[in-house]
Amino acid sequence: MAQHPAQLDSVFAALADPTRRVVLRRLGHGPASVGELATSTSITLPSFMKHIRALEASGLIHTSKVGRVRRCQLNRERFDLVEDWLSEQRRIWSDRTDRLEQFVTNPTEHP
Amino acid sequence: MNPDLDLTLQRIIRAPRASVWRAWTDPASLERWWIPAPTRCRVDRLEPRPGGALVTSMSDDGAAFAPHLDACFLVVDELDRIVFTNAIDSELRPATGSPVPMTAEVTLADHPDGTDYRLLVRHGDPTIRARHEQLGFEHGWGAVTGQLARLVESTVTA
Repeated sequence: MAQHPAQLDSVFAALADPTRRVVLRRLGHGPASVGELATSTSITLPSFMKHIRALEASGLIHTSKVGRVRRCQLNRERFDLVEDWLSEQRRIWSDRTDRLEQFVTNPTEHP
Repeated sequence: MNPDLDLTLQRIIRAPRASVWRAWTDPASLERWWIPAPTRCRVDRLEPRPGGALVTSMSDDGAAFAPHLDACFLVVDELDRIVFTNAIDSELRPATGSPVPMTAEVTLADHPDGTDYRLLVRHGDPTIRARHEQLGFEHGWGAVTGQLARLVESTVTA
C-alpha cells in the first residue's frame, strides 16, 4: 500500500524464498521453536537463523525467548499488507479509467 | 487469470473506439487522464508499437518532475489491444517493478453505446499462490477477495 512501500517490499522479498515459505507453512499450523523449525530443513543453524531474522524483520513472524528456547509465531495481520496493496492497485486503475472515460466523452471540459 | 494477483475492470465508455484509442496513443491526450489532478503528468516517450517506450513523469508544482512509469509495449494492435509491462523498461532492460512487476492489457471492442473497454492487470509473484495453499487461510482470504470483487463491481458498473 502506498504509505508502506518499504514494508511491502520487505514482505514480498521475505515471501520470495522457498526456505522461508516452508517456515511460514509450518507456523500456519501453530507456534514452534527455532529448533523444531530447523529440523525440517537441511541447512545449518546459523544460515537458518538468517531466514528467521529476515522473516521477523519483514513482520511476518514474531519471536520471543522463553528460557533457552526461541519461539516463533505467525503475525497474520502482516499478510493483509499484500491484500491492501492489491486493493490499492485496483483503486488506482479504476480511478484512471474514470478519468479516461471523462476525457473521451467530453474532452473540452478539461482544457 | 489468478484472482489473488490479477485485477480486471470492464466498462462501457460512451465514445467511439477511435476516441479511446487516441486517448491512449496520443501524448497530449494521455497526459490529461493518466495521473490524478492536481498532480501534473508529462509523457516523456510514447511509442505505441511492440518494444516501444512508455515513459511518464509526474509533478506536484509543474516544475520539478519525478519518474512515474518506465515501461515498454508488448502488443499494440490498432484500435483493438494494448499490452505493456514494467518488467522491461523503455531501454529493454529487465526491471524488477516495485514491489512486483506487472503487465497491463487493454482491450477495446465495439458496443451499441460506444466502446466495450476491458482491462486486465497481471501482477507477477508466484509466491502468493504458494502462500495461500501453504498457510491454510483460504477461508479468510477468500472472504476478502469476495469483498473486493463486490466493491469493484459496485464502482465500475456505474
